[in-house]
Amino acid sequence: MLTVSVKWQKEVFKAVEIDTSQPPYVFKCQLYDLTGVPPERQKIMVKGGLLKDDADWSTVGVKQGQKLMMMGTADEIVKAPEKGPVFMEDLPEEEQVVSLGHSAGLFNLGNTCYMNSTVQCLHSVPELKSALTKYSHSVRSNDLDQTSHMLTVATRDLFNELDKSVKPVAPMQFWMVLRKKYPQFGQLHNGVFMQQDAEECWTQLLYTLSQSLRSPGSSENLDAVKDLFGIELASSIHCQESGEESSETESVYSLKCHISQEVNHLHEGLKHGLKSELEKASPALGRSATYLKESRINGLPRYLTIQFVRFFWKRESNQKAKILRKVDYPLELDVYDLCSDELHKQLEGPRQLLRDEEGKKLGLKANEKSRSSKDDDFKMTDAEGFIKCNWRIIWDYISRRDSR
Amino acid sequence: MSDPKSGAGTFQTKAPTKEPEKKDEEHLSEEDLALKQQLELYVERIQDPDPGLQKVALESVRHEIRTSTSSMTSVPKPLKFLGPHYGTLKAFYETMPESDLKKYLADILSVLALTMSAEGERESLKYRLLGSEGDIGSWGHEYVRNLAGEIAEEFMKQQSEEAPIEDLTELVRQIVSFHMKHNAEPEAVDLLMELQVDDLELLVQDVDNTNFKRTCLYLTSTARYLPGPDDMLALDIAYTLYLKFAEFANALQIALFLDKMQYVSQVFTSCDNLLRKKQFCYILARHGITFELDDEMAAEDDDREVLQDIINNIKLSESYLILARDIEVVEPKSPEDIYKAYLLDGRASAGASVDSARQNLAATFVNAFVNAGFGQDKLMTIPSDSSSGASSGNWLFKNKEHGKTSAAASLGMILLWDVDSGLAQIDKYLHSNDKHVIAGALLGVGIVNCGVKNHCDPALALLSEYIGNEDSSIQIAAIMGLGIAYAGAQNEQICSSLTPLLNNARTPLDVISFTAISLGLIYVGSCNEEVAQAIIFAVKYRSESELGEPLTRLLPLGLGLLYLGKQESVEATAEVSKTFNEKIRKYCDMTLLSCAYAGTGNVLKVQNLLGHCAQHLEKGESHQGPAVLGIAMVAMAEELGLEMSIRSLEHLLQYGEQNIRRAVPLALGLLCISNPKVNVMDTLSRLSHDTDSEVAMAAVISLGLIGAGTNNARIAGMLRNLSSYYYKDASLLFCVRVAQGLVHLGKGLLTLNPYHSDRFLLSPTALAGLVTMLHACLDMKAIVLGKYHFVLYFLVLAMQPRMLMTVDENLKPLPVQVRVGQAVDVVGQAGRPKTITSFQTHSTPILLASGDRAELATEKYIPLSPILEGHVILIENPEYREDS
Repeated sequence: MLTVSVKWQKEVFKAVEIDTSQPPYVFKCQLYDLTGVPPERQKIMVKGGLLKDDADWSTVGVKQGQKLMMMGTADEIVKAPEKGPVFMEDLPEEEQVVSLGHSAGLFNLGNTCYMNSTVQCLHSVPELKSALTKYSHSVRSNDLDQTSHMLTVATRDLFNELDKSVKPVAPMQFWMVLRKKYPQFGQLHNGVFMQQDAEECWTQLLYTLSQSLRSPGSSENLDAVKDLFGIELASSIHCQESGEESSETESVYSLKCHISQEVNHLHEGLKHGLKSELEKASPALGRSATYLKESRINGLPRYLTIQFVRFFWKRESNQKAKILRKVDYPLELDVYDLCSDELHKQLEGPRQLLRDEEGKKLGLKANEKSRSSKDDDFKMTDAEGFIKCNWRIIWDYISRRDSR
Repeated sequence: MSDPKSGAGTFQTKAPTKEPEKKDEEHLSEEDLALKQQLELYVERIQDPDPGLQKVALESVRHEIRTSTSSMTSVPKPLKFLGPHYGTLKAFYETMPESDLKKYLADILSVLALTMSAEGERESLKYRLLGSEGDIGSWGHEYVRNLAGEIAEEFMKQQSEEAPIEDLTELVRQIVSFHMKHNAEPEAVDLLMELQVDDLELLVQDVDNTNFKRTCLYLTSTARYLPGPDDMLALDIAYTLYLKFAEFANALQIALFLDKMQYVSQVFTSCDNLLRKKQFCYILARHGITFELDDEMAAEDDDREVLQDIINNIKLSESYLILARDIEVVEPKSPEDIYKAYLLDGRASAGASVDSARQNLAATFVNAFVNAGFGQDKLMTIPSDSSSGASSGNWLFKNKEHGKTSAAASLGMILLWDVDSGLAQIDKYLHSNDKHVIAGALLGVGIVNCGVKNHCDPALALLSEYIGNEDSSIQIAAIMGLGIAYAGAQNEQICSSLTPLLNNARTPLDVISFTAISLGLIYVGSCNEEVAQAIIFAVKYRSESELGEPLTRLLPLGLGLLYLGKQESVEATAEVSKTFNEKIRKYCDMTLLSCAYAGTGNVLKVQNLLGHCAQHLEKGESHQGPAVLGIAMVAMAEELGLEMSIRSLEHLLQYGEQNIRRAVPLALGLLCISNPKVNVMDTLSRLSHDTDSEVAMAAVISLGLIGAGTNNARIAGMLRNLSSYYYKDASLLFCVRVAQGLVHLGKGLLTLNPYHSDRFLLSPTALAGLVTMLHACLDMKAIVLGKYHFVLYFLVLAMQPRMLMTVDENLKPLPVQVRVGQAVDVVGQAGRPKTITSFQTHSTPILLASGDRAELATEKYIPLSPILEGHVILIENPEYREDS
């Protein structure tokens, strides 16, 4: 009989007796009583070795009073969960995109930054994407020319590709079709494609899409592009000399921000852009006279496009010059005061709601009694759609241009 | 050697006497005129044929010179007035017959030569040797200094011309003992070193209680700049002196520096105070060497057990947690607390919706590094109040395949040094049915036991079972675990079970590589022939294609570690390595060279390595990486060399080729490990944006290394910005995360610096761990970013609490006030200079930053260790009187 002390975790069991005539398994059972660790889970360390169940005590060489160390727990063994987590690295590429939280980039094919930025901007408009997916490859309406059709298809394919990949995409096909449709983008200078104006590309592409995405049969959804980007303008034309007055309405795809000496802020530029002078024949005077044209917004689109008119024709040098004046813009643009009275009336209700909502958020009490919730929701989204007018598009475009 | 004419004299200057001298020689004061005439009379008398008269005159002159006490900036008057007669006296001397009087005159001529002798003639020495050999100090300090200078010149001349060496020993002995008596220990040591270091023994007889400390300090600090083997001799003398004056702790430090175990034993046997012995054990424990006490060192069994427990670091975990509680950082931190993504704006902070295996693996490492040694965390250890054991299992299985190895092993890191509860928590993973989890658990067992030796050897018992496992990932983990747990232990049982693997043709390459590293770690700096042979054999029998594998680089490193810091001992093996396949020959050569001279500061070796870096490579050679790392390893020894090599590395960055540029950040990381120097930080920050992604990755990791355990806010900010900059690049982001974890290593309580004890001692195991990790980082893509990311755990070998913990006689923590400030170099300074500057007073336990030094702010206690670092035992000062 030997007595040893056994250390288990932080506990020490002193004076544990070993019956050297029995195999070590018996000793382990003794320890099972003390610790509750089943014998097969026990690991007993004897001077750099493990005690085997069937070892012979005489060869193990345990001495009287020796300290042994036991390792082992009665804890449950860690099992792998039935369903392991899904790792991003294992996903197919198109699903990785979703988890990444940003879409793929485009390769610059040589001075094609204007095109890439335009495509990226349009790509971030989900409604346009869904309209494009509906566009069928084979059927071409009669009033659409072949190249427009091809450009629309190319846009659709490019958008699809962007959605599916993580790595940058080379928009070769799209570029080729674009040059075919609009040969001015294919201009060469010293054998290299020239820099182009992004605004021009944007306008042309939008025009093509508006042509091709016009649903021929249905009456209510006439023009998807116009629906998304079209701005209704109501203008009054006034001639100071004769006092003649007339009014007209038009639909445009972008607001112009004119940059002159006194423009420091986007809002001022826009106001500036809505006023213009034109010369035309006056029936009353019988000669051409200067008319003042003042426009106001009569209908806002989901996505408001704004063009900073930074190029002007320098007469003395006969070339285009760039206006480098710094114009501030807010992250949230309110164009309420550029709207016509008619639109004001429409907007007032939702705006009030929006203000109340914000007031609530800030802890103020709403003045008005709440209306039916359904009505609320509708108008709210409406209001936001109009006023916030997806500022991101323009902002994105500008930042892309500037970061280049 | 000092030039007497430069006039470093400290005697009083008689300013007014200068003025009239300049104006006119004739305008002397009456007193001076009388003296002058008197001396002229003496000179005449000396030339008198009557010996009696001669003698009186000589005595008088001698008296005049000795009593004049003005400084050398204004020549003592008697010397000045006698000057013009120097020639006459010299001529007369030649005519004199041999007699006592002639010797007397020689003495006076020797003194006069101090001002009159032409440069390089060494007449002072010449007449001194011809003179009466009386007490040298009687002629004044300046005379002795001059003489010492002439002796050195004479000696050099004799050496270069191989002229017969005149016996200067007696004179040298006189000068040395004069210097030693007059607080000029550095001069004495310098003179002896100038002549021949063998003579340093002369010092021993002149050293006494008052000057031995300054002498030893000067000896130890000059040793760094002496060429071998003189440096060893100087340290030997310092050791003897410390031992003679019973400064055992200092003696022990020199013994450790020399890596002479018989000296260490001698310290133990010469000291009979148990408390002091405990302090020695603390020093040994910090140094991280394995040392067994025997009966002679500690007679009582119980005492020996207590002492051995200290050496074995049994209580390290306990002290560390006391420190953590005192600083109030016990609360576990999650990786998100470290990333601080909310401080970043925009896109990068938006969390991905799907788990990324790479980023989860990074989080595993961050979690392990940050909570190292605290015993609790938010991912791996189960909080006691949660009912289901789900949380731990969950995180483990959020890692993919081999990632699970690192995850399970991270448990070992979290429970670092706490063997008892560590093994209990790891145990359940050993029964898993997933081979990666088992592998991780085995590695975890090794990590828990790092630096801690248990008398039951649980790591050996558990891991040796798996060495022969048929699955190579389990095999590797078990082998690496053994290497970490038994680094420096030179355990023969492990050696005999590992070496057969190297010689077995069927062992896979990766197992062989890790076996070589583990053997290198276990036998670090031992120059063990048997192990070296086994590794050499393994290298020789690799096929050409195997030598091209990234992991093969670990084989030469394993060999190099055997000779870590052992200088010339490597030569035989280096010779053998020349017979290797040319693919690995140069690589091996560089690795061996850099390991052998690691931590020596040997300038010649640095130049040699730089030379290799300057060459333009033929295709396929890769030896410049280890050469660049080697520069850092050799030069890290002392501050001056370190600064110079940082500059050289900057040049390499500009002119070097790509494979050099990739290694430079790592070398910088090693040079400034856990010591964030601003200039290095800036360089690395610049490189972290390098166009070459491997350079950038190395720079990012190195940013982590230089900030390791410092919580440095600037580096943390840089890394945070990098995490947003590289949010798209998974590999670089992984590196950034790891670096972030390193900066917050142990929540700022740990250091990776292998140097300790006032930057005097280099822990070999710590350096070995660092070097292994850095070598693996030379091929980041294949090793760290591949499936061997657990090599990062080699850093555990270098992890130590950067604390000062004062304990009482029962080894219980004893809070006292200490002053902590920047260390000041006081070598060779007169008086009792302040050793720290810009200090603050704190109560222990405290953290010490790199370059900090602490001293007790109270007289109430006496520390038993000369250097306040790590654990220091305090005893009460018997002479202390409470201020009333």
